[in-house]
Amino acid sequence: MMDDSAHSPNRSSQTSDTLTVNLTLNGEPIALEVEPNVVLLDALRERLDLTGTKKGCDHGQCGACTVLINGHSANSCLTLAVMHEGSEITTVEGLARDGRLHPVQEAFLEHDAYQCGYCTAGQMMSTVSMFNDKRIGTDDASVKEALSGNICRCGAYKNILSAVQSARQKVGEA
Amino acid sequence: MTETVIGHRTARIDGELKLTGKADYAADHNLPNQVYGYPVPSTIACGKLLGLDLDEARQAPGVIDIVHRGNFPQLQPSDNNPACGAAARLYRSPSTMGEENKVGEVRLPFEDDGIHYEGQYIAMVIADTFEHARAAARLVKARYEVHEAVPGLFYTDDEGEEAGDEAVSRGDPAGAFDAAPVKLDQTYTIAMETHVAMEMHASIAHWEGDRLTIYESTQGVVFQRNALAQIFGIPPEKVTVIAHYIGSGFGSKLFMWPHAVITAVAAQRVGRPVKTVLSRQQNFCNAGNRPASRQHMRIAADRDGKLLSIRHDSYNETSFVDEYTESIGSGTPRVYACDNVSVSQRRVKVNHGTPTSMRAPGEVSGSFALESAMDELAIALDMDPLELRRRNFADRDPSADLPWSGNHLRECWDDASRRFGWDQRNPQVGSMRDGHEIIGWGMADATWEAMRSHCSARVELRADGRVQVACGTQDIGTGTYTIVAQTASELTGVPLERIEVKLGDSMLPAGPLSGGSMATATVMPAVAGATRKAIERLKQLAVAEGAPFAGKEADALEFENGALSDGSQTLSFAELLDKLQRGMAEGEASAAPGEEKDKFSFRSFGAHFVEVRWDPGISRLRVARVVSTIDIGRAINPLTARNQVEGAIVMGMGMGLFEATEYDPAGNIYNNNYADYIVPVHADIPDIEVELLDSPDYNFNEFGARGVGEIGITGMAAAIANAVYHATGKRIRDMPIKIADLMEP
Repeated sequence: MMDDSAHSPNRSSQTSDTLTVNLTLNGEPIALEVEPNVVLLDALRERLDLTGTKKGCDHGQCGACTVLINGHSANSCLTLAVMHEGSEITTVEGLARDGRLHPVQEAFLEHDAYQCGYCTAGQMMSTVSMFNDKRIGTDDASVKEALSGNICRCGAYKNILSAVQSARQKVGEA
Repeated sequence: MTETVIGHRTARIDGELKLTGKADYAADHNLPNQVYGYPVPSTIACGKLLGLDLDEARQAPGVIDIVHRGNFPQLQPSDNNPACGAAARLYRSPSTMGEENKVGEVRLPFEDDGIHYEGQYIAMVIADTFEHARAAARLVKARYEVHEAVPGLFYTDDEGEEAGDEAVSRGDPAGAFDAAPVKLDQTYTIAMETHVAMEMHASIAHWEGDRLTIYESTQGVVFQRNALAQIFGIPPEKVTVIAHYIGSGFGSKLFMWPHAVITAVAAQRVGRPVKTVLSRQQNFCNAGNRPASRQHMRIAADRDGKLLSIRHDSYNETSFVDEYTESIGSGTPRVYACDNVSVSQRRVKVNHGTPTSMRAPGEVSGSFALESAMDELAIALDMDPLELRRRNFADRDPSADLPWSGNHLRECWDDASRRFGWDQRNPQVGSMRDGHEIIGWGMADATWEAMRSHCSARVELRADGRVQVACGTQDIGTGTYTIVAQTASELTGVPLERIEVKLGDSMLPAGPLSGGSMATATVMPAVAGATRKAIERLKQLAVAEGAPFAGKEADALEFENGALSDGSQTLSFAELLDKLQRGMAEGEASAAPGEEKDKFSFRSFGAHFVEVRWDPGISRLRVARVVSTIDIGRAINPLTARNQVEGAIVMGMGMGLFEATEYDPAGNIYNNNYADYIVPVHADIPDIEVELLDSPDYNFNEFGARGVGEIGITGMAAAIANAVYHATGKRIRDMPIKIADLMEP
């Protein structure tokens, strides 16, 4: 989902090619100095060394790069970093709090909801977003439909579904 | 051995790293002073590269270098080419399995001016940022002489050339076929498939003097190390290949592809680390595929269903730069009892990148034709398709005249058919309905050869109470980290939390490829051997002069739960090492298959039962239910083993219903992305119920494991096609099944 509160970023005083974007990343305010054509995914991976978010297609087709932008899931490969002045962005590195795994992470571990682990960050970020979206039903068919933008080529779908449904209960209890 | 860890559901020891984003895949590394490579692909599939116009690209922001045929080290010494970097020339890798230096494409990058397939690299731009490299790559202009392409197997009448070593013949297949009362003569095809592992191929190459370190997404660090050493003409010790985590490969990352060589040369030229991540589109062109195949199947039986003849003649695509043989019929002489069998394989050159292994290479394609033909034969005989298979059970390996080490196919049939409810099947086509949906039930057998290779490993019992295991194999998502830890834990009694596993580094003791479903059976015996040697070493240290057990016989000491004991005194290995002021007691061992392969035939079997639902009103076909029972020998970790089989079933659904890499008549792929190349997603996934028989194969190795990665995909496409026939009366012999096939009258 687009960030509807985005302000125009300030042109940097340092070089004419870069802009400064102020945003909150995993709870920390940061000022990102970046060229206007840098995609958010590449900014995270290549500029901020947050490599838990993965690139699987660069075209918004596979879901591996899913992050939360202001609480909503988004393909970070389909949005430019400079569009996120004022945004709150959460990546997989921000899921665990105070050294404790998020209930979704715990459920993925317990249910073996992955194989290679490459799509896993995206699967989990979409799951967290889905839990917050009350329009999406809680039955298996609704979950499968909602998560179909996250491909798992290893085919661990059955375990992902059971992890998601089990985490839903834990998130509800928390 | 009392097993407390092996055979138990065990959460992955690397799970938390994968779930928190800390697992380091190749492209996650960012080295100091690193720059970026972006390959420039050919836009034509066949012809000649006449020249490159690089002026605009060179002047683009951030560009550091452009490597191409004009400045790339060549096979021949290049005195007249001062533009070359440090490596004056390159060599081809011998590309053999025996020497463990096989590569995906033997031709070196830019080796000649021929264009053999779309996407073939014609240059690579090196720039300070990813964005600059990508932008400049698009400014490179190429001039071509375009030749007519062979766009694929289904576009040509070329019979290709025979792969002689694939031919098998026993009995008199032609005579038996002619004389048989019931026979079938059909042709089956499968579209080209692409692995599309989620993680794209990536290399980061870094030279320190004459030493090369390369982070690569690879299923074989040792193979790539050896191949790079051959290509650069340097000793293998000077090359380190690192692949701690791999976003899977399914075969596409077994053998090195040209992007790694270009990246290594580029890093040498610019004197800085170079990171190259292929785009998804380049992954389709330049990193292998399962070639399209055509199979001519002639099969005959007597009126009781006893097989009298099988002739299985197959064709696979190969490229114009390499000879790739898909061993499509390799399972055919072994699966069923039949006295008269022949198999042949031909390769047809097309303008595609060189094919490579893709999950259950060969046999999964062959199983589609064989298991479809068995279904068709059952219908011709008016016999239940499961009963036809029962009547042709092979109680020995018919091709090797060896006993099976264990063939539990009958138990698989019994278990899966009971759980599925097969006895409720009405054989009449279209007879089973649920509202507006027509239900189809089909089945097929699954099978995969059990293979084992050689392997070395090192184990260290450390003074801090931890155990470290090291092996130069990789974990591609199958759970190798965990089964290695389980092995060490089982033998030492040290809990998993205190076992560290190092994989994915060619500097470690040499381990096998992660492929062919052979890693588990190959790695575990070496890890066990190294663990035992480390324990022996500990005992020797313990009885030495001045040591806590001085004067005792080393053999008289017991090692249990991580502690040595002589009956009166018990010391943990950490306490003992501490007293001895030693950092570790270590052991290194190698293991390899032995004479058992001359005594038994090792093969896994299983059975898939599939329900499809066809809604003719809206042309909707779904796989609704899959029930499978698979014998994989001992499941070392049932949690991850079942996940593997379920994942293979999902990929088999892809082969049956969705997957096809499509070329236009000029030889250009027109669905080279994740939206147009369809793979199963969450919403496609049916109810999948997998059972693994627990039947350890101790003839194969001491742990009884036979391997698990491939077998689940074999037979799946046929089981789906057989179910579709049962629902619709339409026999689809061309994979994937398309809705249009079912709509035609």
